[in-house]
Amino acid sequence: MSFIIDKQTLDDLNLTGKFKQGSVFSLFNKVHTRGGERLLETMFQQPLTDHAMINQRSNLFAYFQILQMDFPLDGTKFQEAENYLSTDSIANPIIAAAGNFVKKIQAQVLKDERFDILKSGFVDTFLILKSCKNFFSKLDTGGNPFSKQIERANSILNSKKLDWLNHIDSDRLSVFTISSYDHLLRSAMKIEMQSLLEIIYELDVYITVANVSLENNYGYANALPVEKHIFNAEGLRHPLIKNAVGNGISLNQNSNMIFLTGANMAGKSTLMKTIGISFYLAHLGFPVAAKRMEFSVKEGIYSSINTPDNLSMGYSHFYAEVMRVKKVAEGVAAGQNMMVIFDELFKGTNVKDAYDATLAVTESFAMYNNCFFIISTHIIEVGEALKDKCNNLQFKYLPTIVEGKIPRYTYKLNEGITNDRQGMMIIENEGILELLSHTA
Amino acid sequence: MFTTDAQTLGDLELFGKGAGASVYALYNLTRTRGGARVLEDMFRNPLSNPDNVNIRSGIIQYFAEHQINFSFEQELFDSAEQYLAERDERTRFVAQQGLGQKISSLVSTDPIFKNIQKGITAIVGLLQGLQNFLNNDEVTGCLAYAGERQSILNQLSHDSFIPMLKQSLKNKLSHEQLSAYDKVLRFSHHHEVTKLLQHIYYLDVYITVGKVGAKNGFAYPRALDSSACHISINDFYHPLLKNAVPNSLEITPAGNVIFLTGANMAGKSTLMKSFGINVYLAHMGFPLAAKDISFSIMDGIYTTINLPDNLGMGISHFYAEVLRLKKIAKELSHSKKLLVIFDELFRGTNVKDAYEGTIAVTMAFALKHNSVFIISTHITEAGEVLKKDCKNVDFKYLPTRMNKTTPVYTYKLETGITDDRHGMIIITNEKILDILKEGRAKLS
Repeated sequence: MSFIIDKQTLDDLNLTGKFKQGSVFSLFNKVHTRGGERLLETMFQQPLTDHAMINQRSNLFAYFQILQMDFPLDGTKFQEAENYLSTDSIANPIIAAAGNFVKKIQAQVLKDERFDILKSGFVDTFLILKSCKNFFSKLDTGGNPFSKQIERANSILNSKKLDWLNHIDSDRLSVFTISSYDHLLRSAMKIEMQSLLEIIYELDVYITVANVSLENNYGYANALPVEKHIFNAEGLRHPLIKNAVGNGISLNQNSNMIFLTGANMAGKSTLMKTIGISFYLAHLGFPVAAKRMEFSVKEGIYSSINTPDNLSMGYSHFYAEVMRVKKVAEGVAAGQNMMVIFDELFKGTNVKDAYDATLAVTESFAMYNNCFFIISTHIIEVGEALKDKCNNLQFKYLPTIVEGKIPRYTYKLNEGITNDRQGMMIIENEGILELLSHTA
Repeated sequence: MFTTDAQTLGDLELFGKGAGASVYALYNLTRTRGGARVLEDMFRNPLSNPDNVNIRSGIIQYFAEHQINFSFEQELFDSAEQYLAERDERTRFVAQQGLGQKISSLVSTDPIFKNIQKGITAIVGLLQGLQNFLNNDEVTGCLAYAGERQSILNQLSHDSFIPMLKQSLKNKLSHEQLSAYDKVLRFSHHHEVTKLLQHIYYLDVYITVGKVGAKNGFAYPRALDSSACHISINDFYHPLLKNAVPNSLEITPAGNVIFLTGANMAGKSTLMKSFGINVYLAHMGFPLAAKDISFSIMDGIYTTINLPDNLGMGISHFYAEVLRLKKIAKELSHSKKLLVIFDELFRGTNVKDAYEGTIAVTMAFALKHNSVFIISTHITEAGEVLKKDCKNVDFKYLPTRMNKTTPVYTYKLETGITDDRHGMIIITNEKILDILKEGRAKLS
């Protein structure tokens, strides 16, 4: 079963997107090979739904984080080798060799470049294979999470067929030598070369992600079976914000909903995005920005943080939100175990409606104690009403401290409901009314 | 200079995203690529002088009403552009060829020579076409175009162009002719030639836009020469919506702040976008989606309809609105006449703040009698306070009628403040609470 997440949630959390500035994917996309990037993209698009597989992958990252190694191969040479190995050659060695002789002659007579291309691709591949052989032979295979791949790589690189790697000189290659080894690499050992490339891609991803994690002081979350219904995190931060403040979050079956309040700019949206992003990364087995984190596997995430209106479909902002809530309601009612994040639900409507709607919807969702909910609102009166109706809610707020006329934010979660508001103060601080009353 | 910004262009969907529908795409049916460039330039730079608006709208209207067609061959433009772009002296066409060149041209035709020959023939053809177009009786009768027409004729009457205009194109041009024309077109009078082509591209735009206007039954704007703000627009609608309901607004300094209320889905955002788009098009002198419009020229438009937050820069939605207000307030403090549109002012904050903020900001706006403001809000209580304290605030609302439990929207503006609210009805109609209740019962 695949993890449930949709485009809006991916956008809200800014998760994927190679070319999007500040996306979580681009944070990790520092790989050295194209195949590595493809693999990273595939991993990023397919969160895991089995806790054992998640832990297996996060152990791999953690293992490489301890090793602290750099990617061992030359990036440009590797790309040449990748190109060389991925183009097909003629299966019959004799015809292929004859063809190469013709190309060599054409190269001299007609300035044809095909032979030179073949030769330089071959030489780069030869050099890469030599570095690989050297690198893999030094790695420890004693029962680490990557040993299976190391053993496979060693068995390919040390096979008799590749003995010549140690003997030939890349500066002195005859057409005959190139033709015979070219045939070996691209035809006879095609499958082996492909699996070697794949091991290198994996290695690239593990080393890169581990190094990003080390650099940013991330940690790894421990995945637990679905039925535990737990989410515990200490020092949870937004992975893309420098010096972000860490917060503790604790959810379980008896206390599965956080009702979040706080003034504008106190950091509500950031906290909700932090929870969503960390939860997603944890399901990838990727490092998370937390001191410690454990979670039971869920089936997906729904968020509603920046719901856009859609005039061409005839949706107002409010209706767009209603349709979003309906979609989540249908998923949850069908028995999905989800993490649900609603930021400022029904902000696009009048207060009375927003109060009634937030109360009714929150109360109905709260009955699903197999799901986790994080709900923020400006309508603090809803909180008071919910206190009487539900016993599985946590009330948390992000405080504002006013010093003189300047509001200051701690970004540290507190227990309770706040009615902080500094909107008018911000308007005054920006001098807007003075600008307008001044007639030039 | 007419000022606006990326937020406004995005809100009004003037250019749209990618290949989606946009106002620009509605008009972008020009025959030539040069025409498309001119059209985009017109969209990027609305006019800031009433005479220029009236002249352009006059030309477009006249061409449309007289069904004047764009009579130039499209293929000629590509050859002409390509030819004019190559200005290397070494490619210059020389009549007296050396023996070597003569022999090689016997063996195979030199592609460079061929392109030059094609380019010169194309331009001569286009200039002749332009002269014929200008001397057409229908075109001569267009008063709005008279100025531009005379200026083109003056340019064409230059000694260097006269032989080309008389040139017969039945036979191939001789080497001597090619050499003489090449010198004029690419070297001595290159600038003039590009200007003449540009005039043809303008014709393409006038004619195309006129056809779009005629096809959609659009009206032509009339710019007033008045320093006081005045917009009078009847039966305007959103040009990209099918079967849109038309509305009318009359805005004068005595009521230059429009306080707009209405339930969700009653059409507030659409109305504001329609108004913004049409006022923008009016400043371009283009036919637009209304029955008629007369207006005094504004210095710019600023809208705030879909404002994103910017977490990367540490900006919440509320703060993004405040910064937007500050930017507009600064422009207004420089005595600019602006059209300012704010949809759901302060929706990203708590009620008490939104109430106080809406009143304070609307009152401050109301002091600027020369600008036009449209502010929509859900906080109807703010309207009651403004009614007492501001004389130049005009209260409009979009009504909702209940058909048993289903809300029906008329999309027709009425005067006053409404506290219609049907949010819970929409939620009930979508059966969200039922879905959750039944799901719960089934699961346990």
